[in-house]
Amino acid sequence: MMTYAEILPQLVETLKPYAKKVGHPKETTDLVSELGLDSLQVMQVLLKIEDQFDISIPLNNLPNIRTVKDLGQEIEQLLKA
Amino acid sequence: MPSTNTQKTNITATPTQPAINLRPGNFSTLSEALDYAACGNTGSNFYSGRGHLTHVLPYAELQSQSKNLAKRLNGLGLQRGSRIALVADTTPDFLRFFFACQYAGLIPVPLPISIHLGGHEVYVKQLARLLESCQASIAMAPEGFVPFLEEAATELNLQLIGGPETFASLEESQIPLQPLESHELAYIQYTSGSTRWPRGVEVTQSAVMTNLAGIIQHGLKVQTGDRCVSWLPFYHDMGLVGFVLGPMASQLSVDYLSTRDFAMRPRQWLKLMTNSKATISFSPSFGYELCVRRLREDSSSESYDLSAWRIAGVGAETIRADSLGRFAKALEPSGFNQQAFLACYGMAECSLAISFAPLHSGISVDLVDADELSNNRLASPISSSVIGDEEARVSKFVNCGVPLPGYEVEIRDDMGIALSDRESGTIYVRGASTMTGYFNDPVLTQEALSEDGWLNTGDIGYWIDGSLVIIGRSKDMIIINGRNIWPQDLEYVAEQQPEVRPGDSSAFSVSGPDGDEVAIMVVQCRETNSEKRDDLIHRLGSRIQKELSIPSYIELIPPRTLPRTSSGKLSRSRAKSDFLKRVEWETLAPALSLSA
Repeated sequence: MMTYAEILPQLVETLKPYAKKVGHPKETTDLVSELGLDSLQVMQVLLKIEDQFDISIPLNNLPNIRTVKDLGQEIEQLLKA
Repeated sequence: MPSTNTQKTNITATPTQPAINLRPGNFSTLSEALDYAACGNTGSNFYSGRGHLTHVLPYAELQSQSKNLAKRLNGLGLQRGSRIALVADTTPDFLRFFFACQYAGLIPVPLPISIHLGGHEVYVKQLARLLESCQASIAMAPEGFVPFLEEAATELNLQLIGGPETFASLEESQIPLQPLESHELAYIQYTSGSTRWPRGVEVTQSAVMTNLAGIIQHGLKVQTGDRCVSWLPFYHDMGLVGFVLGPMASQLSVDYLSTRDFAMRPRQWLKLMTNSKATISFSPSFGYELCVRRLREDSSSESYDLSAWRIAGVGAETIRADSLGRFAKALEPSGFNQQAFLACYGMAECSLAISFAPLHSGISVDLVDADELSNNRLASPISSSVIGDEEARVSKFVNCGVPLPGYEVEIRDDMGIALSDRESGTIYVRGASTMTGYFNDPVLTQEALSEDGWLNTGDIGYWIDGSLVIIGRSKDMIIINGRNIWPQDLEYVAEQQPEVRPGDSSAFSVSGPDGDEVAIMVVQCRETNSEKRDDLIHRLGSRIQKELSIPSYIELIPPRTLPRTSSGKLSRSRAKSDFLKRVEWETLAPALSLSA
């Protein structure tokens, strides 16, 4: 079972191509306002993450995912379930 | 693995070939239509984003389960016609609740489902405004969305809020069911849920049944052997009326993919079309564009067979012939026939559809002289030989066909005089499918609907030989020095730039210091380098000056900040009010030397 500490570096790696604006995404980076992801890019990121970790992020959790950390914790929870 | 992928591995989708004779939408109410469909073996099928069939709901089961749920709702002792708000995810539960309302004499109100990252607060506010607007008595959401509803309803007085399980545990009432009758409402449809002033369109049973019969018999000419696929949201008129009520009222099987799964994996749409050999599917232009983009990014040689696809409908936003052309070209090797494209025009205020282009003839584009159109409001045809000529400015509009039988349509000038061929004006519609009004909003209703039943669509267009050509929304028109400028024209200039995508720009006008209108365009921009940003601003300003001969003020804003309606359309009026709030226009305007 992967822990948050193991998930985070992988997640950051996945987000890098979308983070030209901020350079290196940090735990506190806001996915929408700082990375500047538009709705289609959000979908692409989610697709990559779902495939990478073999999870399916429930729709109702999206409104509460704001930062890289939120997303990492969500992945951890889903892997545990 | 997610449970949805593993459960019920041996279920099979409902068949395409019906066991009963096709009745093409000629029913007086939705419940009567479902009662007939329930005699057959067709129904709805739900697929996961990875293409697995997760739920099958034949119309027969939908009918019996909806009736059972209706008895439980009746036990709540609600007044007939009470509103039941339903957060509309693409699930069997939405269908059960929608039809339970039909049998119980209650009015369903589909509400949007949020798929935005970090959008918690905005979504709760939107739900609260909608619940308040429709004066909902009870509200249902998929289990995971119940907390949003509860938060939204904290200051409202709802009798019951819950997920499907909450309602399943209610006592059944023994009172016989009294389904909604033809003069009663069928549902309330919100057209712009995210604006400050949501408008709930009241659609009666007879209105929606008239429209469905028109769509089924004339627009699509549904035939035995047809099958539908849809990823359109159930809270959107095209998703609800077109692909929930339409297939049901013509006893067709339909395969659903959720909107979010389509947005993540657009090619699933094509896979589903391939596997189910579906014949009918609709999308706004951007859905076709999204597929093309994804196919281009990843050229893995997945094979599709789209040869059964006889109607590829396009509507709900400005139809972009270029996007459709790219789609047709990319998927021609997979058997897609561009003649399958079907342009249509409609709006929730008319249940759904007003006109359809002729079947199996593809997209027909009308090329007109853009200067003639803005100066004299005349859509003068321009010959294709002058295209490419730098001097000639050409506008392209898609022919949306002849209005459905039963509609009276007029195109009127500002004085209310009906116009003839190729004179552009506002489109007015009258007929049995139009709304009775906006729920609980007599002022807006009076603005839109005349006493003798004419609906001001707010859209502008022109006639060609009895066919409607849609130009755009008139309230968005930019008038500068008496010239009509279509905001689409400015936005088109923006979209021609490599850093700007379709839907990234919004143009409108604002009164300048001396009362003259000034054209403004806000553009979503990901670029952070200030030199590159300045370069984009200058390029846009000079292109607009060159192509439209007007000065303009360009503002770059962060991605995803342009306001949209619940159905995803850009809202220029809100982009304008946001702009005015953001900038100090009184101080900014005089500083700009915008006078031409």
